[in-house]
Amino acid sequence: MNSTSIHQSLFFLAICLSLAGCAGTKVLEVDANRFPVPLMSQNAVSLGVLLDDDIRSFVHKETIEKKGSWEVVLGPVQQTLFTNLSTGVFESFEFVNTTSAPHLDGVLKPTIKEVQFSLPSQTRSNYYEVWIRYDFELFDREGGQVGQWSLPAYGKANKNNFGSKSVGLQEAALAACRDAMAFFSINFAKEPAVYKWLTAGKPLMPKAPPQEAEEDAQEDAESEPTSTTPTTGTTT
Amino acid sequence: MQNHHQLQSAANKLPVAVCVVAACFALSGCVTATVQQVRETTTSMTTDDAIVVMGRRNRPSQSESELDFVDCVARNVAAGEDGVQVITEQQFVDAMFPWFEPRTAPLNTNELPELLKQPVLAERLREIGLKYLVWLEGNTRRTAQSGSMSCSLTPGGGGCFGFLTWEKDSSYEASIWDAHSAKTAGRVSSDAAGTSYMPALVVPIPIIARVQSQACTSLAGQLKQFVQSGS
Repeated sequence: MNSTSIHQSLFFLAICLSLAGCAGTKVLEVDANRFPVPLMSQNAVSLGVLLDDDIRSFVHKETIEKKGSWEVVLGPVQQTLFTNLSTGVFESFEFVNTTSAPHLDGVLKPTIKEVQFSLPSQTRSNYYEVWIRYDFELFDREGGQVGQWSLPAYGKANKNNFGSKSVGLQEAALAACRDAMAFFSINFAKEPAVYKWLTAGKPLMPKAPPQEAEEDAQEDAESEPTSTTPTTGTTT
Repeated sequence: MQNHHQLQSAANKLPVAVCVVAACFALSGCVTATVQQVRETTTSMTTDDAIVVMGRRNRPSQSESELDFVDCVARNVAAGEDGVQVITEQQFVDAMFPWFEPRTAPLNTNELPELLKQPVLAERLREIGLKYLVWLEGNTRRTAQSGSMSCSLTPGGGGCFGFLTWEKDSSYEASIWDAHSAKTAGRVSSDAAGTSYMPALVVPIPIIARVQSQACTSLAGQLKQFVQSGS
């Protein structure tokens, strides 16, 4: 192989590598060291926090035309986020694996329902923006549901402050996580269902007796006969 | 022998090249800056007192201050023999979390007393010795530009030809809140404008007007005076 063909091969390789670089997925991770412990009077409640596998491994994947593919990795930071959040907001807490925890007052189960983001070129603004919607469920100590609510969080980062798209979006994602923490800590005790439960002394929630539940299910089935007929597939 | 001549020739050109580079750095465009202040209450600081300089970020806005400008003002207020103690924005926001996040930060001084009613917040403010909170708004924009320049690279060498000019305008306002009395102490504004040029005859020579830097220095100087003493 002469030197000209070696140069041509190297040039071709360089082009291929740069194209591969452009087409690759950009993976954004949030810095878990930037979640402070909320400074506030703690709520007199001892809660279990249930982080299931879905939230612990949550990754938002999105492909934007002409801008490539993106992955916003939020799962791994949830443990730190909820540790710091719970340290500031609750009198005591621990991580649990089920919705019932007889030695505590109740269990909080957060879920990430939705994530969206936008680039400045999409919105014709100066901002990278990230939206995260958390859903929270609160259970009494025996697993009865106290209430559930949604928490939309928003974070932005000015493109003039950050050199690259990845860093800008990372900063916006971090801001959205901090916004969720801020909003949760200020409003936790004001959520109507939580407020009612706390002021009532954190009682066990009434559960529908199993017999009644069965009767209800039967009634539903009788009142909506069409819903029991399968529209697709086969039954045995 | 030929190599020796080439080395000598290169050595002769080196001081010229250094002079050109030095001249480029020394050249800077003219900037006009104006600083104004409005005082509403008397101010004073002791050696234990500190201030924090923060950018307003409650909503997406065209007038959000650049992070480097906020840093520049904070650094300049702290610098010098007459410098005052400054807490960085990130340190303050983290220390007061969640009360000074974009969605939760107070928008005016009326909201401060309610915030300071919380014993833990009042205690933390005492710990960090915060006396004044300075909110910055405004930014630097390129307002006009004209001219053209083209550069080419050939096997025999390369170069640029043309002339570019652009204008930048900085406009910033600082609102100073007294964290002890929960009242607005006053406002300081800084406006600066300047034109930069870049003539190119083979080599482009940038003559940059440092508009944002001038606005930062002027604003920081005035802020320092404002908070230290005045009635």
